[in-house]
Amino acid sequence: MESPRTPLDSAAPTLTVWDLPVRLFHWLLVGAVATAMITGWLAPQWWMGAHLWSGYQVLALIGFRLIWGFWGSEYSRFASFAYGPGETFAHLRALVFLKSRHAIGHSPAGAAMIWALALLLAGLVASGLVMAGGEEKQGPLAGIASYQWGMAAKALHGPLALMLLGLIAGHVLGVLIESRLVRENLVLAMITGKKRLTLSPPENIRSARPLPTLLALAVMAVLGAGSLAALARLPPTGIYELAANPVYAKECGACHHAFHPSLLPASSWQGVMAGLADHFGEDASLPKAQAEAIAVWLIANAAERWDTEAANRFRTLDPAQPLRITATPYWTRKHRDLPKARFAQKAVGGPANCNACHRDAATGLYADQEIRLPKETNL
Amino acid sequence: MTPTKFLLTALMSATLASPALTNPVRDGQLAGLAAQAKKEDAGFAGFSAERGRALYQARFATGKAETPSCTTCHGTDPKGKGQTKAGKEIGPMAVSQNPARYTDPAELEKWFPRNCNQVLGRECTAREKGDFLTFMISQ
Ligand code: HEC
Ligand code: HEC
Ligand code: HEC
Repeated sequence: MESPRTPLDSAAPTLTVWDLPVRLFHWLLVGAVATAMITGWLAPQWWMGAHLWSGYQVLALIGFRLIWGFWGSEYSRFASFAYGPGETFAHLRALVFLKSRHAIGHSPAGAAMIWALALLLAGLVASGLVMAGGEEKQGPLAGIASYQWGMAAKALHGPLALMLLGLIAGHVLGVLIESRLVRENLVLAMITGKKRLTLSPPENIRSARPLPTLLALAVMAVLGAGSLAALARLPPTGIYELAANPVYAKECGACHHAFHPSLLPASSWQGVMAGLADHFGEDASLPKAQAEAIAVWLIANAAERWDTEAANRFRTLDPAQPLRITATPYWTRKHRDLPKARFAQKAVGGPANCNACHRDAATGLYADQEIRLPKETNL
Repeated sequence: MTPTKFLLTALMSATLASPALTNPVRDGQLAGLAAQAKKEDAGFAGFSAERGRALYQARFATGKAETPSCTTCHGTDPKGKGQTKAGKEIGPMAVSQNPARYTDPAELEKWFPRNCNQVLGRECTAREKGDFLTFMISQ
């Protein structure tokens, strides 16, 4: 919002309040959060990779900002906007009556918003990492977080994101109102860094200290990379290296994609293997010894053994069709929006050919990023 | 015809049909089927690619309703690809397209009963199997 400027105003001296790193930080954060929101709420699931990356960007930006809060230039420092509750409350009350309280750097209300945003972002990154680790078995926490943890984090992640959206709306509104009250374009100020000097600045303005900043950044990078590398060495919880089973791949992969054994519980595999002569309307009978060997392998590696999202979800069966993955409540819910023609198209052939759309079907992981629908030809 | 002489003729006819497409295992299978066909029907006088084609293309009402014919899954053209009921692609059945076809006795032992039950509602006779193989070898 452009505030009317008197000639006197434009003649007023300006001060670079927001140093370049803080401005970069601010707009990069805007970009990362916007990406996270779009990929989290709007984009199809296979954009999950971009979502995770935006989360890591937020994490890195927060890390930088923590350091810059101690060694940046005056108005970047936490000390310059660490207002007490009294001051903050007084400013908020003044705002209700549309009275401004001019500050060279962050105003008390602005500072409160920043802390709230920072806390929410930290909560979102943390819950996101636990979700990725527990549910998707991805990222640094895959070796620590169980599926249960992932589900708990998921219950937090969504509501936190909604709160963030609310706060961002409040932040933008606050900036617009404050811009009007103090007759200064605060959005422009976050781009140029300059604000009109209407108050006399304190005498001891501190300038940025690049050396401690770089040192701290280096330490943070080393510690961060080190702990990430250490965590990445932990094997993901509840996932196993499954030795290839060529007999299974051949015999149970002849008519459809050979399902990963983690996709059904032992009871279902037992049922499937006991009824091969009438297998979903087809004769899939095998010599007894071969069928028995396959059954033993399937049951030993059934869903109960795994902690992936798919294994956890597909343990809940449809009582009417307990032998079908595609009848489970989770499967039907996840594929509800796909038109029937999508499954019928030649490149897919039917719902049982999971690998036509899930590039990681052989692993049983079914990660969001690995979903690719075949081109809509031959529908 | 003595059994040995008969086996030889059967082998010969299979071999002569398409000299380039011989395979000891496949030929052995055919010979075995011929011996069995002779046992099942004393009037048996060799396999026929034409009867094989007819079997392949016939529509039966005795098996499963969704799979009235071999072509339901294998496609009308034996040189082309087929698709299972679950939607997976099946490679061509014609030996000219896939010389490795019918060279694994275990595969034949598994698929003939399955597919014949599926389509005809009964096992195929040795003559039907031999006709089918002869047809596919000629393709
Ligand atoms: C002769 C062909 C054939 C063979 C061999 C075969 N299947 Fe199937 N299978 C089918 C068909 C057809 C369906 C039903 C597909 C559909 O409804 O889309 C099916 C469905 C299934 C399903 C349920 C899929 C769903 O809808 O969730 C499971 C599980 C399954 N098969 C397991 C096996 C196992 C294990 C083996 C190996 C012992 C095997 N199949 C071998 C033809 C076969
Ligand atoms: C026609 C393509 C297609 C086929 C075939 C298909 N899926 Fe999916 N699947 C998808 C799409 C698209 C999604 C994402 C849906 C969404 O946006 O929530 C999905 C989602 C999933 C998910 C949830 C992933 C997650 O982390 O949210 C699982 C698990 C899954 N599918 C398993 C299967 C299994 C098992 C099969 C085979 C029995 C199968 N799918 C067959 C397209 C397919
Ligand atoms: C329900 C689908 C279906 C029908 C109907 C069907 N088949 Fe098959 N058949 C298959 C599949 C799947 C395979 C194994 C895939 C492969 O070998 O590439 C197969 C394999 C075979 C094989 C073994 C091939 C080899 O390489 O050894 C023979 C022989 C065969 N079928 C004969 C028949 C005959 C004869 C009929 C008709 C009476 C028939 N099939 C009908 C699905 C079918």
